[in-house]
Amino acid sequence: MDLSLSKSQLMIRKNMRKFASEVLDEWAGVLDRDSTPLPADVVREMGRLNIWGIQAPAEIGGAGLDTVSYSIVIEEISRVSAAVGLGVTVHNSVCLAPLLAFGTPEQIARYGPDLATGKKIGGFTVTEPQAGSDASSIQTRAVPDGDHYVLNGQKAFVTNGGVGDLFLVAASVDPAKKSKGIAIFIVEKSMEGFEVGKIEDMMGMRGNMVSELFFSNVIIPRENVLGRPEDGFRISMKTLDIGRIGIASQALGIGTAAYEAAATYAMERKQFDRPIGTFQAVSFMLADMKTHLDASRLLIYRAADLKDRGMPYSTESAMCKLYASSTAMQVCMQALQIFGGYGYVKDLPVERFFRDAKITEIYEGTSEVMKIIIGNDIIREFNRF
Amino acid sequence: MLSIIVCIKQVPDTQKAVFDPKTGAIDRKSTDNIMNPDDLHALEMALSIRDRYGARVTAITMGPPQADDVLSEAYALGADECVLVSDPRFAGSDSLITTRVLSRAILRLGAFDLVITGCEAIDGNTAHVGYQLSEFLSMPLITQIHEFMIDGNHAIIERLYGHEYQKIRVSLPLLLSMGKNSNRVRIPRLVDIKECGEKPISLMTLNDIGGEPGEYGAAGSPTVVIKTEIFSHTRGRAVLEGGIEEKVDAIVHMLKKQNILRF
Repeated sequence: MDLSLSKSQLMIRKNMRKFASEVLDEWAGVLDRDSTPLPADVVREMGRLNIWGIQAPAEIGGAGLDTVSYSIVIEEISRVSAAVGLGVTVHNSVCLAPLLAFGTPEQIARYGPDLATGKKIGGFTVTEPQAGSDASSIQTRAVPDGDHYVLNGQKAFVTNGGVGDLFLVAASVDPAKKSKGIAIFIVEKSMEGFEVGKIEDMMGMRGNMVSELFFSNVIIPRENVLGRPEDGFRISMKTLDIGRIGIASQALGIGTAAYEAAATYAMERKQFDRPIGTFQAVSFMLADMKTHLDASRLLIYRAADLKDRGMPYSTESAMCKLYASSTAMQVCMQALQIFGGYGYVKDLPVERFFRDAKITEIYEGTSEVMKIIIGNDIIREFNRF
Repeated sequence: MLSIIVCIKQVPDTQKAVFDPKTGAIDRKSTDNIMNPDDLHALEMALSIRDRYGARVTAITMGPPQADDVLSEAYALGADECVLVSDPRFAGSDSLITTRVLSRAILRLGAFDLVITGCEAIDGNTAHVGYQLSEFLSMPLITQIHEFMIDGNHAIIERLYGHEYQKIRVSLPLLLSMGKNSNRVRIPRLVDIKECGEKPISLMTLNDIGGEPGEYGAAGSPTVVIKTEIFSHTRGRAVLEGGIEEKVDAIVHMLKKQNILRF
């Protein structure tokens, strides 16, 4: 069993770390402070580097990387700016990936190249004000009418909402069928009746323009249904399996940043004539942080590897997301504790890591939903009566 | 179209390396092998000239078979062709013999307009090879380049050193040596990183470059390393007492004593 990264994966880590430190680092604090999106030239440069099409095939302008490499890219970007990591992972894994997996050749030809090169930024939206973990209860309706559907409704907490050009939108075609009546539509910002609502003023991830979306009588051509209309819920669930590897990697990036900052500081900061990191109270904290982060990384790579080998990975994906997100939260809390008062002020990025980490336990399925997925798997295996 | 040859070297990452305090040798297991940092700037120079004027960029390295890793990296960054010069009989070559090997290999690659090297490697820090190549290939070496332009079969170069700069016009072919402040090295595209390992690397051995085995390797090398020592700089702390005049006098005295202030 070989757990080491390949030469190409190591080169990806080195170069993404370089990109994050040379380009994103100067923006990370600004995006958070001003709640503003990345400048267009940085978005373009990320397009040149294939960051908007990490796993998309080279023919449409992507890099065609494996899922472990994908995780490395998200971790390294999130290690510097979790908000940028969020935009990248959502665009790649829950917009572009399902388009490529379930889209028709025409849909892929039409939307794939612009998404893979970052000329268009994408998002994916199920959540509504009244429909969170219970995704089957969505109210957004799409009524068939001749060669098109008419879309009406509202979406909430849409990642990339304020900057996105194209969204995969879950809407009910037949409310009587509940989850079986949900279809996924490819909706463009330019369509009449599409409106971006309020940009959320958030605790963390402030560099992502998370927003409301409103649809009023938006005419959606039938050819913009992703996959078969009755497959919407299944597509959503599969999409979230992929997405969770990305969010887990993002959590890992945040946790790693907090851990490295804390370890560095603990060896510089002297109290009682010695670095505080040499006191057992602090070194034990650092030991826990390092161990949990490493465990997260291995869980993520295992889920990613299963996906690449075409094996079922839904439970493993839920496990890595559950563990990596709670680790990120725990590690950030300990890092802040090690920084003491300096961790609580905005001059240093530790408090940002702390605020950014929390959401990883909430979005792309809460920790409780992850436990439902894992629990159901256990029930299937052991409940024989 | 211009033909540019870039000399690169695989070196241990000496920033991370652990040194044996007795022998001064690097513990090879303590660190990764990387492309020599100055050589990245040399490659970037070649690629930026190609972007502006069109060129074919060939990266060449002399080293053991695993040195092909830095050639793959050169492919990821955009090199058009990569050549590994490798032969067990080259083992133990000093900087002079390394230059002999490189110059003979370069002359067998066909006509060229520019050869670009890094200023120095972080393992030996001799900075010999660039200067020696200029002798072996009988062409001028230009260092400390600030601006570079091609004008027909000439190059117009601004050199920046200290507080002055010099603008020169020099005919091709030409040898350039690049230091770490000369440019900003591009980041390769992910797709190029993915594909770089699959691109073909040409191999040249002693048989390809010619010469007798005795001219190469440890046998041919005049340099003898007698001893390697580790230098360490430690920061000290000094507290100056007294009035401002006395403190300034004390600082000036200290700086003069350290030979930092000379008059």
